[in-house]
Amino acid sequence: MLKKFIFLILFFYFLILFQTSFLSRFFIFLPNLVLIVIILINFFEEQKSDFGIFAALVGGFFLDIFSEHFFGYYFLISFSFAFFIKFVIKNYIQFELNLKL
Amino acid sequence: MKFLKRKRFGLFNKKEEKFFSKPTFTTNRLKVGIIVLIIMSFFLLNLPSFSQRIRNFFYIISEPIQGWLWQKGGGLFDFFDWLSKAKRVWQENENLKLENQELIQKSIEFEQLRRENDVLREALDLGLTGEFELIISDIIGREIAEDYLIIDKGSEDGVAFGFPVITQQKSLVGKVIQVYETTSKIQLLSSENSSFDVKIFEKEIYGLVRGKGSFNLSLEFIPREQELNVRDKVITTSLGGNFPKGLLVGEIKEVKKSDIASFQEAVLEPGFDSRKLDYLFLITNF
Repeated sequence: MLKKFIFLILFFYFLILFQTSFLSRFFIFLPNLVLIVIILINFFEEQKSDFGIFAALVGGFFLDIFSEHFFGYYFLISFSFAFFIKFVIKNYIQFELNLKL
Repeated sequence: MKFLKRKRFGLFNKKEEKFFSKPTFTTNRLKVGIIVLIIMSFFLLNLPSFSQRIRNFFYIISEPIQGWLWQKGGGLFDFFDWLSKAKRVWQENENLKLENQELIQKSIEFEQLRRENDVLREALDLGLTGEFELIISDIIGREIAEDYLIIDKGSEDGVAFGFPVITQQKSLVGKVIQVYETTSKIQLLSSENSSFDVKIFEKEIYGLVRGKGSFNLSLEFIPREQELNVRDKVITTSLGGNFPKGLLVGEIKEVKKSDIASFQEAVLEPGFDSRKLDYLFLITNF
């Protein structure tokens, strides 16, 4: 579990460097890749897992570091997305369980 | 602290045991603690000096990686940019080639018009248009025999057999010997089949000019006693009715006089240079 968290921290760090240094040479308007990854993690992870929340915490922190906004700006955005997705999935979406008997 | 000590040593009473044994309490306390910690962290992080330090720290450790990525990104961007531009440049090059060809064509047409205009202006200055009725024509070819030219005017343009042909400088070139619908054939003075009466300019000396082929002319049947000089100009007369009088035929280049012959002969240089001819005038009435 700890390895997973460390991997996520490093992944977000290098993803944001890749976005701000490499991809910014090609695109003027670039979508926020970190935010997209946070949304995808929260959408596809298990309902009971808190990994998406942790991803929102780490991703929001790195986005705040490399942005000109106040600290907490992206953190609040990513947290809002994570909670909103989890809330919607928990209350309004049901997954079918296919078991081969 | 008292209840924690009691909890550690198992000294809770039943009421306390029941309360603390609920799993939700610990979980809720942890969540509240994390939220409080986060909020406090944000206040701390947003302190100007602290936020600057922490961002500075990350920028310092990220600088080498960011620099490398920026450089590589630039290289790759330049490559793709070159690829896209190469195609555009190739297309532009093709368009420019086409435009260039069109411009060259226009330039040629313009040059032809300019030369035609110069010729007409010169003809006008010499009073040709007032003296004769003329048809202007372009030379479009030369016969293999060299002493015949083909022009771009024919019977459709009013050309008829025997029309004298002159240059804009009023020099005699020859006459029309064959007329087609859109083209005509001109026999030059130098043709071996050509002979006509002439006169030495400003002298009462008459003779006959005969073509010798290959642009050569000779002046014949001049009595021995008549004085001919090199550079004397030879003009047409109205004798024979082939050409109007007063047209320049050429000038004497060499005089050949023999003691035994009763006539003297001269070599003439034609008044035109066939290599420089572009436009010719056909005299329709004289």
